[in-house]
Amino acid sequence: MTAVSAFLVPGSPLHLLRPDNPPWRPIVAGFERAARALAMSRPDAVLLYSTQWIAVLDALWQARPRLTGAHVDENWHDLGDMAFDIRVDTDLAEACVNAVKAAGISSKSVDYDQFPIDSGTIVATRLLDPDSRFPLVIAANNLYHDAATTMRMAEIATATARVQNKKVAVVGVGGLSGTVFREPIAIAEDRVAAEKDDSWNRRILRLLEKGETGRLDAEVDDYAREARVDMGFKHLAWIRGAIGGRFFGARVHGYGPAHGAGAAVIEFRL
Amino acid sequence: MANGEIVAGFLAPHPPHLVYGENPPQNEPKSEGGWEPLRWAYERARESLDQLQPDVLLVHSPHWITQVGHHFLGVRHLSGKSVDPIFPNLFRYTFELEVDVELAEACCEKAAQRGLTAMMMRNPKFRVDYGTITTLHMIRPQWDIPIVGISANNSPYYLTTEEGLDEMDTLGKATREAIEATGRRAVLLASNTLCHWHFHEEPDTPEDMSREHPQSYDGYKWDMRMIELLRQGKTAEVFRLLPQFIDEAFAEVKSGAFTWMFAAMGYPELPGELHGYGTVIGTGNAVMEWNLVKAGLAGAAVPPSAAGGRESYAGAMR
Repeated sequence: MTAVSAFLVPGSPLHLLRPDNPPWRPIVAGFERAARALAMSRPDAVLLYSTQWIAVLDALWQARPRLTGAHVDENWHDLGDMAFDIRVDTDLAEACVNAVKAAGISSKSVDYDQFPIDSGTIVATRLLDPDSRFPLVIAANNLYHDAATTMRMAEIATATARVQNKKVAVVGVGGLSGTVFREPIAIAEDRVAAEKDDSWNRRILRLLEKGETGRLDAEVDDYAREARVDMGFKHLAWIRGAIGGRFFGARVHGYGPAHGAGAAVIEFRL
Repeated sequence: MANGEIVAGFLAPHPPHLVYGENPPQNEPKSEGGWEPLRWAYERARESLDQLQPDVLLVHSPHWITQVGHHFLGVRHLSGKSVDPIFPNLFRYTFELEVDVELAEACCEKAAQRGLTAMMMRNPKFRVDYGTITTLHMIRPQWDIPIVGISANNSPYYLTTEEGLDEMDTLGKATREAIEATGRRAVLLASNTLCHWHFHEEPDTPEDMSREHPQSYDGYKWDMRMIELLRQGKTAEVFRLLPQFIDEAFAEVKSGAFTWMFAAMGYPELPGELHGYGTVIGTGNAVMEWNLVKAGLAGAAVPPSAAGGRESYAGAMR
């Protein structure tokens, strides 16, 4: 199989910028375990999809060979800035653009100095691959793409990597439940804001752990709607598309809040 | 300091295509033109703004989205290169701007006093969103008037439209109090498109105007209906229809700038001056002005020779 590892991780800046805050420690520790697993899988490239890189016209793919800078989050600017140094597998990215386009999904690469890299991509790369060992292929979240289209894009991306004889890790960056605290809180007391959300999150995590894809498929739409899941859980669709739909279970490396929203670091067993 | 006032409000949409079409030196990509009627509309708005001689421009932008509270730029000097994440091929703009931090802080404080969560943005590395920059460039390309930048809290999307717009109404009232308390002569800029149905693919030559048209006829009809009401000064009717307009035309005014501006002006039943209307990748954009000086609801600019200390705010910031 071309995909050698797969992870679903949150993209909130909180876990990167305040890693010692007790409620956020499980996520940070989960990232540490996932980072080790990613390194051990020795991918040639990482196929990353972030719900926070928003596109509306085409499927966008990052194609600038190296992205460096410091990003300040639009909401969490008071917590500091996030330096980043990202390498892109441009050959694979451009091949993905062409392959996705050939499949009838309008697709473009972006290669611009100071193109705004989203918080989710930066958080995930900083915490999963702190030494920037693995080049990335980064795909945007087109707001008008549904889960099926997102799965199809990821499937094509993996197939394209196979053509290039490359092993890939797959990363979907996004949150779980989406109810947030709309006012400042004492961050040491952060928690998943709604009990119903927490219950939904845990139920879905159990299904993932057991690899019960049938029940997952049956429940995921209700979960997305009732728990206000980040972007309808399209980051899971990305992962499932890239790994051929099936997985044999998952390990939840960490679960916790992000200012009321749900977050988890999940490694899929392939 | 007291007796500040709002002298005008502008509906000032932010398609980066307008900057691209104009070819200012700050923008890297170069075009053969395009979207002329809208750019000419902004030329008329610029002339009017020039006569208003404001101390400060306040802009509420839907592309600075915040989840926790309403945020205000709070760093006096901000600069950088703004690359539009949606249209990087059209907008890579080098900017420098001065923020009226004192007024921004007053807005923040007044908003908090009215029960809103409000915060100052103090990080000097912050990347100002392209909506703010596009609107400011189109209305005042000289960049010689200090600004206050206000985020779009996502409440109209997270809560109901009505609940979210109630927050924007409160924010507008707080903004007015802050302007009055700080003595500023202020112009408000609502950085919003009207109908927001848009194309899903960009023409190979973006400025090829043979490809430009409304994406939705129903959306176009909604825009004309709302503009006609605004031209007649039927503000109450506009706001009665606003939730339906938002739902049926996918109107960007949902993000709050339009409501913020009208709340700050006190929802005057004042005919708006339409400087121009046009579509950009299918969306409906109107440049409109509500000139409170011409309407006798605000004072005219004081000639510099007679201004004494009155002219000092903008001058001191420059």
